[in-house]
Formats: sequence, structure tokens, C-alpha cells
Amino acid sequence: MEKAIETSRPEAVFVLLLLQSIFWMVAGISALPFAIGGELHMIGLGLATLLVALLVCLVAIGVLWRRRWARRTALALEIVALAGSVLQLLLPIGANHAPVTLLTNVVVPAAVIWLLWGRMTRSVFS
Amino acid sequence: MYSVNPEHAIGIVGGLLALPIALIALRMHPRWRSVPGTVRAAAVLMAVSGGVHLALIPHHVTTEPVTSVLFLLNGLAFIALAAAFTWRYWRLASAGLLISTVLAYLVYVGIGLEGPDQVGLATKLVEVTALGLALVPVRGEAGRTHRSWRWATLGVAMPMLLVITGATVWIVDLARPDPRHVHAGALLQATNTVATPAQVDAANRLYAATKTAILPYEDWHRAWAAGYRPGGSTTLPSSHWMNQRYVEAGYVMDPERPQGLVYANTHQGPVLLGAMFQMKSLNKFGPDPGGPMTAWHQHENICFTPIGFEFSLMTPYATCPIGAIDISAPPMLHVWIVDNPHGGLFAVDIDSSVVAAMDRS
Repeated sequence: MEKAIETSRPEAVFVLLLLQSIFWMVAGISALPFAIGGELHMIGLGLATLLVALLVCLVAIGVLWRRRWARRTALALEIVALAGSVLQLLLPIGANHAPVTLLTNVVVPAAVIWLLWGRMTRSVFS
Repeated sequence: MYSVNPEHAIGIVGGLLALPIALIALRMHPRWRSVPGTVRAAAVLMAVSGGVHLALIPHHVTTEPVTSVLFLLNGLAFIALAAAFTWRYWRLASAGLLISTVLAYLVYVGIGLEGPDQVGLATKLVEVTALGLALVPVRGEAGRTHRSWRWATLGVAMPMLLVITGATVWIVDLARPDPRHVHAGALLQATNTVATPAQVDAANRLYAATKTAILPYEDWHRAWAAGYRPGGSTTLPSSHWMNQRYVEAGYVMDPERPQGLVYANTHQGPVLLGAMFQMKSLNKFGPDPGGPMTAWHQHENICFTPIGFEFSLMTPYATCPIGAIDISAPPMLHVWIVDNPHGGLFAVDIDSSVVAAMDRS
């Protein structure tokens, strides 16, 4: 089959960021019916979430193209997302601790950080 | 949807066991290092999915033999493909198996053969991730790489599968909630199914005492003076007015001191609909004098935003809109002092048509 000539970490990160982008898109769309029901602030939050989904998708493409700004942005986004998720899981607010929550909010951001971290990976990005 | 079906919990064990086994076994493959990391990761994830499917067989074998056979074939196929990552048609076969497995799950959930749960959803996420990793073209691949069809399949299949899976699972969960879940995200207290005469009497006594105690609050100014404050947007049909002092004091089902009052937001101003008792802690349901008539409920997996104190529901992928966090509200019990034809005096919700009619009058 194929021969691995260079790292495929950016491609793996692209797939994970694409997943995340779709998760954000679903979250953004899911807020909009509540806005129709009278929760007016949900319009803003829904649209902001859709913009984040778009941003994550663009960052995914940037990572695929091995752009340095994309790697930095992805790392920043994932560190913030991971910290927020861990905080939410630790606080006694009744947040969900089920497998999907752990996968999407902890494992995926942690995997992206792990895949993009380090000097070797950094050298791939121009 | 947001919890693990106890009968499926063994699937998680199977998947977690398969992960280290796959990592160790596949590394022994002589060509492990010659393929891109994305292919290796996809192979490991398929082995995990295979482990989940095989672990679920013992539970289903007596009650659902056909499903068990499908789990067996599915599990073996995943493990075989995980090991055959150097095969010429590996990508095609993997994509076919992964897509058909996700779609088959959705058919099962859609026609009611399976209820959506965390094991199923997590496994589908693993499979969609494996699909993406198997298909994504990597720089520097040698030979015929079929990049265009791989991009096309990746670009269409991954988003479509995720959106369809999320939508199907959500719709099924809302349309066919299990007996202890009513409307979106409310977990009912476990009770007997039919109220005994003593329970009916006790419920009526609670209703009468609560109604008498809160009637003065028909004048919302008196509620305000007593410390009740509206939460959430007044553009909604109704609002809960909470008394933080009573919440913190932790009075348990005290008709004189309900933690909340519910008002309809009408053009004439707030109109009292009822009271709400609330427990202080999560997962601790209050006393249940009326049995099934006065079952408490706990709202779970709601996305709460302090911006305007508004709520939405957590998605099947456990995400909330930006600015909202996933929380659960401690158990509560409503007492409606207005006619609530579709739910009754202690229903989780007030009938929306009642509130709408009130606004028109």
C-alpha cells in the first residue's frame, strides 16, 4: 500500500476539527428554535456558535494546508475548550459525565492538542 | 439518550478492552510503520468498534438472535478490516462497512428495535471518526491514491452521517421517551403507577394548602415584596419567579414557603399560574404524598446561559451553544392553581394553550 513519507498528524487533526465543527454547527442550530419560542438571547448565542463552527472548519483546512496560524489557533481553541470542559465536569452543577460528553469535550480536544504539540509537528507547519 | 443503558454497559468494557489489545497486536504487523498514522488510527478505532459489537452479543443472544448474529458479523468484520489495513481495497471496504453500520443503527433506532443511548452514540462517533481517518488523503502517499473520490466521500459522508445520526437520535428520544422521562430532559421520580385513595387524599390536601397559601401572590407586587424575582426572559409565555431565601433555606414542600411561583406573561401583566417546590440538592427527590400524582421531576442536560437566564437543550453530541453550560436543576414539583386539562394539578408543564388563552382574555 502507501508509504508514509511525512507525518499525517495534520490530516488526523483535520478530521477531528471537522467533527468538532459539525458538533458546534448542531449546537448553534439547536439554539434557534428556543429563540423562536421567545428566548431572544438564544438568537445571538446560536449565531455566535455557528460562527465558531465556521471558524473551526477554516482552521481545519488551514491545518491541512500546514499553515502556522492554523496550528496556533487550533491549539488555543482546544486548550480553552478542554479547560472549560474539565471545569464544567468538576463543578457540582449536575453536568453530564456520560461517554459521549467525555469523547467530544475531553478526548477530542486532548487528541488535537497532543497531535499538534511538540517541535517535530511544529516544523511541519510553514 | 444521555445515559448508559445498563444492558449496554458491557459494550463500553468491550471497547475499552479492545483498545489496548488492538494497539499491541497491530503494532506487531510487519507493515505497521509503512502506512500513514491516519490509517493506523482508523484500524485501531475499528477494532474498538468491533470489541463493542462482540461484547453486546451475550445480552442480545436469547432475546434478539438476529441482532446477535448481526453484531457477530459486524464485530468480526471490523476486527478483520482492522488487521487488513494493507489490503488494496481496505479503504473501500472500511468505508462501506462503517457507513452501513451507522445507517443500520439508525434504522434500528428509528423503528424502535433499540433505544438511543450513550453506548450506541459513542460507538457511532468512533465509527464516523474512523471513517474520516480512513478516507482522508495524506501528503506523500505513493501509488494510486484515488484522492478525488476519497475527498468527495469524506466531505459528504462525515457531515451527513453526523447530522442524520444526531437528528434521528434526538427525534426518537423526544418522540418516544422512556417511562421516567417526560418532555425534554425531565426525569420523573419513581413511584407506584396508580394512586391509592390515601394518596389521592394526600395530594388534594397538598393542593388545597398550597393554593390557599399562594393566592395572595395573584398580586405580583406582594410576591415581589416577599422576595420572589422573575428569572429568564419575560418574552416567554411564562416565567418562574424564584425566592432565593427559600431556596437557600431548603424548605421541603412547605406550602407557605414555595421556592418558586409561576406567572403567565400576559399583556395585562403577570398572572399567577401556580407554585413550584424545589429541593436543595441534585438527585434527591422530595416527599411524594400523592404517589404518581405528585411525582417530582429533575431537569437534566439543559444548556443554561446567564445571558438573559435562558435555556436550551444539550445536543446528542453533548454540546451547548457558546456562552451556555450544561447543568441539571434539583428536583421540583409544580402545583398549578389554574385549570391544566392536559397534565393535571401537579404536571411537569402547564398546558401552553391555557397560557395563550389567558393572554387573549
